[in-house]
Amino acid sequence: MSASRGLQDVADAVLRSKTGLVGLSILVAMVILSILALAYVPFDVAREWNNPSFWQRNPRLALPSWINIFLGGRLPETITLSNDSFRKYSYYLETVGLKYCILEADLSYSYGDFPSELRLLLYIKGEEALTTVRWIQPNGVDLTVWKGSFKRGSNTIYISRQIDVREFIRDSLKKLNLTIPSTVNPEVILFVDNTMVHSELTPVNGRYRIKIEAVSSDPYTDVEAEFIVYGRVYGLAGTDDKRRDLFVGLVWGAPIALAFGLIAAIATSLLQTLIGSLSAWYGGFIDEAIQRVTDVYMIIPFLPILITISVIYRIDIWTLLLVVVGLSLFGGATKTARSMTFQIMAEQYIEAAISYGASRRRILLLYILPRLMPYTMANIVLSVPGYVFLEAALSVLGLGDPMMPTWGKIISDAYSGGAVVHGLWWWILLPSALIILTAISFAFLGLALDKVVNPRLRER
Amino acid sequence: MLKYLAKRMILLFATLVVAIYLTIIIANAGGLIDDILKAQLRYEIASNLARSPGWSQLTEEEQRRIIDERFQSAIEAKGLDRPFLERTFKYLIDALTLSLGRALFITSASGSKAVGDIILERLPQTVLLFTTGTILYSIIGLLLGLYMAKRPGGFFDRIFSVFAVVTQVIPPWFFGILFIMVFAYYLGLVPFGGMVSVPPPRDPLNYVLDVAYHMALPLFTWIFSLFGAWAYIARNLIVQIAEEDFVNTAKAKGLPENIVMRRHVLRPSLPPIVTVISLSLIASWQGAIITETVFNWPGLGTLFYQAINSLDAPVVIGLTVIYAYLLVATVLVLDLVYSILDPRIRAGRI
Repeated sequence: MSASRGLQDVADAVLRSKTGLVGLSILVAMVILSILALAYVPFDVAREWNNPSFWQRNPRLALPSWINIFLGGRLPETITLSNDSFRKYSYYLETVGLKYCILEADLSYSYGDFPSELRLLLYIKGEEALTTVRWIQPNGVDLTVWKGSFKRGSNTIYISRQIDVREFIRDSLKKLNLTIPSTVNPEVILFVDNTMVHSELTPVNGRYRIKIEAVSSDPYTDVEAEFIVYGRVYGLAGTDDKRRDLFVGLVWGAPIALAFGLIAAIATSLLQTLIGSLSAWYGGFIDEAIQRVTDVYMIIPFLPILITISVIYRIDIWTLLLVVVGLSLFGGATKTARSMTFQIMAEQYIEAAISYGASRRRILLLYILPRLMPYTMANIVLSVPGYVFLEAALSVLGLGDPMMPTWGKIISDAYSGGAVVHGLWWWILLPSALIILTAISFAFLGLALDKVVNPRLRER
Repeated sequence: MLKYLAKRMILLFATLVVAIYLTIIIANAGGLIDDILKAQLRYEIASNLARSPGWSQLTEEEQRRIIDERFQSAIEAKGLDRPFLERTFKYLIDALTLSLGRALFITSASGSKAVGDIILERLPQTVLLFTTGTILYSIIGLLLGLYMAKRPGGFFDRIFSVFAVVTQVIPPWFFGILFIMVFAYYLGLVPFGGMVSVPPPRDPLNYVLDVAYHMALPLFTWIFSLFGAWAYIARNLIVQIAEEDFVNTAKAKGLPENIVMRRHVLRPSLPPIVTVISLSLIASWQGAIITETVFNWPGLGTLFYQAINSLDAPVVIGLTVIYAYLLVATVLVLDLVYSILDPRIRAGRI
């Protein structure tokens, strides 16, 4: 049996069994996802992932958008009114020496729930400007949200978080003789009908208007504005507590997980098989030495040592890969490959090869190792999930790659960010689902290959 | 037979020595931890002295001399003045004679710094959870495996093979996170983690019930994620043996099905089953670093993780040494058991 024959057996086994096909198709989908990752994400994820300002326009802890299919479109998306959507009027009154800038924008809101946060960014060109921000509700109620002077440059009004905003809103409600809610957040007050007393707060749908008036003594003053109404849903996978788009992390994690798992599995399985057959084929002192080293390797606790190394050296994911391979040079597969080689050595074609003078290395590389290939293939396939989960495990312990968004890192962020205890299911379930899918695809492939490796398991 | 056992014993002991020595080197990061310790010691001495009255009146040279003096005597007292390699051999002898020494940072709840005390204090918790879990999943898995092997390729067999292969590749801690979300958060059936409520109940009965209440989810997780794989192993072993010629012969002789099963199938499949069960029982003693961390279970796994994180080399070495000893002892016992179970070894033919 040659190597290609062995590989053909492997392929046949995969394609003929249902589990093999399922596994293969999941795997193919993952590979496509990995390729898409590079196309979908046009920026350097590894650099931007930990850069908070890159994600500031996303809502915090937003659910995935598709949840709205089940909720009837109830949860708001993020609405961003950029500078272009503002209508601008500006004039200079020479008699008083004041420049007036008025910016106005409309916002149509049609959701069953309140936004999660409001934020207004103002960029002032020229001298300090006295600015008033007003909010006109669909029923004409005109509320002052903020009033004060802004310095040159960019300024942000955190409408949902600033205490003074609440004071301004309360004052203008008082002026209009409307009911004043005690401690309700601005993102709620601004979207309810304040002319009525509510038992349950629901947002009013319709056209809202935000109006910014800036007055300055500098005739060249100009104002640019951006208004962000943060929603409660975002993208395909939602966001985490640092507003990061989880979909980017998930998609980006696919090639990393696959590469890590596959490289670790291929390297360790091939090396262990090679060392095992070397041990059997050359025998004598080499055999004895390799067997003793394998025994030592099997006593040394793998995970604790890996954790120790990660704690001391704070390694990134690819160094970790090297360490993992180094710690798994000898193992179970060494022993199995050794005993399989002994069986093969007893066969007649090896005897024939020796008799016509094939070199020892030639026999090992061309006649023995190819026979071990189906076993090695199965071993590779079955050990991939272990390595994918190993990376995740180290991440959960806080020892993963500090920069790269891997699935394990997202799960660990979710775990330490309280996703489990607060029921932020998307944050933890989506990366988990991807890891499980990957693991299952390899497990199914392995189940199909089991029949190649153990022909006796073939169903009668 | 005796010669065989003696040879195995010597080999195993040599392996043990080498493995422990390597662990000592790695746990001390090849001497790196010594440097950290020395720097810490020096800093402590300097900052203690700086607080003493009259210190600032001394010249800088005098200050340095006093610090150096105190530092020298401190590292001599801790034995840090000898070269690292020389000390590793002392550590090795200590480890082999099970004098595990004192922890650098970790203290037991009773206030002891002896590594032995620290480990013994955590051991019962780990044994309670993981050894119970391992015994339970072994029994469930074995029974399931037997049942699956009755009709290989049947519906039940196929369903559970898929289940086994899937749970086999997903580690327990991962199920742990998902189960905490489902059973603790959404269903509210069990607590999120820990071993007892805070404060713990006073009377013994309630205490036991409280522990059982906290233990339910981790125990279920451990069994759920491992019994399938074990059933699959047992099933494969039995199916393979059931196809041997001697089984066919026994059937052809007209022996009743359950006698064939008991005498010709189960008996030869005993050694590997015994091996797997005893090895997993021994491994269960170690606890599970990540599973315990996820469930906040105060066992040896958490201790191992704490020790690694605080670079407490003596605790790491202590845990490894005890585990290595147990493993080697188990392997030896297994050799003995095999010689009883397997007539070929008994006769000295292997």
